[in-house]
Amino acid sequence: MPKDGAKTGRLQSKAPSRPDMKAHSAAAVAERNADELMSLAVEAAQSRHLAHFLEQFAQRSVRMLEADWGGVAVYQGRETEFYGIPGKLGPAFEPAEKWMLANAREIRDEIEARTLPKEIAGGLSSPEKPATAVFVRIAASDKEKLGMMCLFRKQKTLRGEEKRLLRALASHAALSLENFRRFSQLEKSKRQWVEDIDAISDYIVVHDRTWRIVRTNRSLASYLGVPPVALVGEAMNSLRQIAETGTDLPCPFCRDTQLAREEYVATSAERIFLISTSRTGVPDDDSRTIHVLKDITDRRKAERQYRELFDSIQEGLFFATPEGRFLDVNDAMVRMLGYGSREELLRADVSPHLYPVPEAREKFLRALAERGVLRNYEETLRRKDGTLLHTLQNISAVRDARGHIVQIRGLMLDVTEQKSFQAQLQRERDFNQKILNTTQSMILVLDTAGLISYANRRCYEAGYQESELIGHRLVDWVEASHREDFHGALETTAHGQQVENLELRARRSDGSMGHFSISLSPMRDEQNAVNSVVVVMTDITDAVLLQAKLAHSEKMATIGRLVSGVAHEVNNPLAAILGFTDLLLENPEVPLSAQDDLKIILQETQRTKDIVQDLLSFARQRPVQRELMQVHQVLRQTIKLRSYDFASHGVEVTEEFEEDLPSALGDLQQMQQVFLNILNNAYDAVQETGRRGRIKIQTREQGGMIEVSVSDNGTGIADPQRIFDPFYTTKQPGKGTGLGLSICYGIVRAHGGEIQCWNNEGGAGSTFVVRIPVATESTQAAAAAKEAGR
Amino acid sequence: MSAQPAISVKAPILLIEDEPSVIAFLRAALERRGYAVVHASSGEEGLKQLLLGQYAGVISDIRMPGAVNGAEVHEWIRKNRPELRSRVILISGDTANSETQAFLAQSGTPCIEKPFRVQQLIAVVEKTFGRP
Repeated sequence: MPKDGAKTGRLQSKAPSRPDMKAHSAAAVAERNADELMSLAVEAAQSRHLAHFLEQFAQRSVRMLEADWGGVAVYQGRETEFYGIPGKLGPAFEPAEKWMLANAREIRDEIEARTLPKEIAGGLSSPEKPATAVFVRIAASDKEKLGMMCLFRKQKTLRGEEKRLLRALASHAALSLENFRRFSQLEKSKRQWVEDIDAISDYIVVHDRTWRIVRTNRSLASYLGVPPVALVGEAMNSLRQIAETGTDLPCPFCRDTQLAREEYVATSAERIFLISTSRTGVPDDDSRTIHVLKDITDRRKAERQYRELFDSIQEGLFFATPEGRFLDVNDAMVRMLGYGSREELLRADVSPHLYPVPEAREKFLRALAERGVLRNYEETLRRKDGTLLHTLQNISAVRDARGHIVQIRGLMLDVTEQKSFQAQLQRERDFNQKILNTTQSMILVLDTAGLISYANRRCYEAGYQESELIGHRLVDWVEASHREDFHGALETTAHGQQVENLELRARRSDGSMGHFSISLSPMRDEQNAVNSVVVVMTDITDAVLLQAKLAHSEKMATIGRLVSGVAHEVNNPLAAILGFTDLLLENPEVPLSAQDDLKIILQETQRTKDIVQDLLSFARQRPVQRELMQVHQVLRQTIKLRSYDFASHGVEVTEEFEEDLPSALGDLQQMQQVFLNILNNAYDAVQETGRRGRIKIQTREQGGMIEVSVSDNGTGIADPQRIFDPFYTTKQPGKGTGLGLSICYGIVRAHGGEIQCWNNEGGAGSTFVVRIPVATESTQAAAAAKEAGR
Repeated sequence: MSAQPAISVKAPILLIEDEPSVIAFLRAALERRGYAVVHASSGEEGLKQLLLGQYAGVISDIRMPGAVNGAEVHEWIRKNRPELRSRVILISGDTANSETQAFLAQSGTPCIEKPFRVQQLIAVVEKTFGRP
């Protein structure tokens, strides 16, 4: 396919046409052909343009073989270039060329003649009308088909001489085509090489030994703002503005000319270059020096920024081998581990000291191999001084092509302080927990609405269930009459004030009411606002009761002393009154009318004496006659004394006596007096109500004491606290001295027991309870010894 | 206890008592029955009188102000005048005191508790000292 047919066609023939060559003799032809061949050889050597050469070649071949027209097809790989003699074919050129190229590919022989089709032949303007196309193969020395020459001529047959001539021409053409190809390849490669060099962004400059620039690449020239050729021949010194190494040499980039290779960094005011230098040839006339300047300013800047960041960061950064040896660390890391310098830490022998638990290290490596990345990994390291460093690390593994870990990169935080703080916190928490769990007080936390949000172990030990604690209102436990106080205390606490030792009655887990001492403390959130209240509750019921008992017995003892004193003081005047009244009554001189008055004095004195006797009975600490006593027997005897009254007044007495009640040591008479007194009281109380009276007498043994309780459904007691006080009576004047129960109190106390009374809860009447100790072997023995010693 | 022989009915009864109204009553009651009465108003004075003379018997209050009480008078008599030991009558206005009780129980000495009737007194006196 003619690539540039029009251009080729325009080429002008320089060689003169020889239409009369047939007239020459054979010898002359041979001589001329020899000339033509020689000229061809010369042309081949001189010609620079392939097209021109091939045109000339075709002209000569036409002349030498008496042809009308000729052309050469040149194969360039799959493409075909066609160079034919222009002008001669006129309008037939294009179809002729087409036919010739189509046939040329089919030719297998070295030389072959084909009949020219009539339409092609007819189109030719030649007067002799060629009928044949002679194809001659142009092959390279290695048989590669380089092209095909084609000649149009009249005679089809080729003489032997003509064939030899054609072969000679073909080999000439082959030689020339090969040369042309080599030359153009060389040219192309040279041009490409320069382009490649120019394409390199690094600055390249070559100078000779006279320090003159031989060549630069385009990058360098454009950096200086000049075309590359402008620099050739200039002195190397003119490039000093780019950068310099600081030597006195005429080249700013040379340092040591004795070295074949050099590489160093040179800087200018603005840029940083990595200069790679090569020196070629022996150091003589032809030696040249090539400098390649790589602008590493940005890289250096990035590196510097990276390093600055690396070193300024507060967290420890490190690169390490899988074995734990550090490859690079930042300053923070050095500081953390307590080393003097980076170099010290990078030493190989540091790692055994660094990892106090080698097994932990192995575990770490396994985890890293498995996951590739470890987040918030906790590792304990040993500082240079031996103290432990608790760290939190973020680690990533760098693997090689086979997946083996080759490097470990990580970021490390010193959490030692947090760790010790945490440990301290844990200790405090444990300590607080222990206190909370072992204290004998109930500790609860209430939210601002007064709902229980926490209860310590003691609460559960006291019998409360979680279901009745958490989420419930503590105030619901508090006795109704005390709720206002409790609300007030909560209010005070909500305002940030502490409330100490608030005493109130509250419901225990078993439903009974107890005395509690309650302290409330506010707890604040981060904003300092009270968000909950800590309540410490202590059951002080026993203490309160004990205190009340103590106060009571102290009161009774005081009253006893007072009464004793009064009785004694009263007895003397009373003795005189009684005595003198007796004497007066004995005196016959006293008139009868006066005697009646004296008898009244006598009677009232007698009454006063009885009162004083009762008082003294209460106060008297008469030694108890200690003998074995069956309480049931004493009770039955006492009941018997009043049974007539009970029956006749419809008072029902029930006995609930515990079987096998142990004996007590005591004074039968005195105990009978006590029980009688209590029964009398019960009888009077039920009589007053008018309803059917019931008296229930129960006995049981409890805690080494025999307990006798007498309950009635009578009027109850106006003031149980004062019932045992002397002269305290609710009975009508004259019906009782108010000393009966005081005397009972004295007797029971003298027996080492106690007497109590209260109004029945949720029912009418009251209950008296008498407790006296069970006779033990030792107390029996002591009593027996005393009996014997009397 | 059997009645005492009237060995020294002529001798007076020593009355140790600090309360004037009681002394007056006792003296009146005893003198009307024919007994001679010598009076001491404290334990110490009583002991002095005991040293000075002979008595048909001693009637002493137990609780008296001063250094010597009835029990101590009794103790002195037991040691120094044993012949009088069975002729002592104690008067008490306060038998609540456990020491007094123990003393009375141990010594077996007759005791009259204040206030008492004249008949009670005379009965005990006649039984202990005999008739005048």
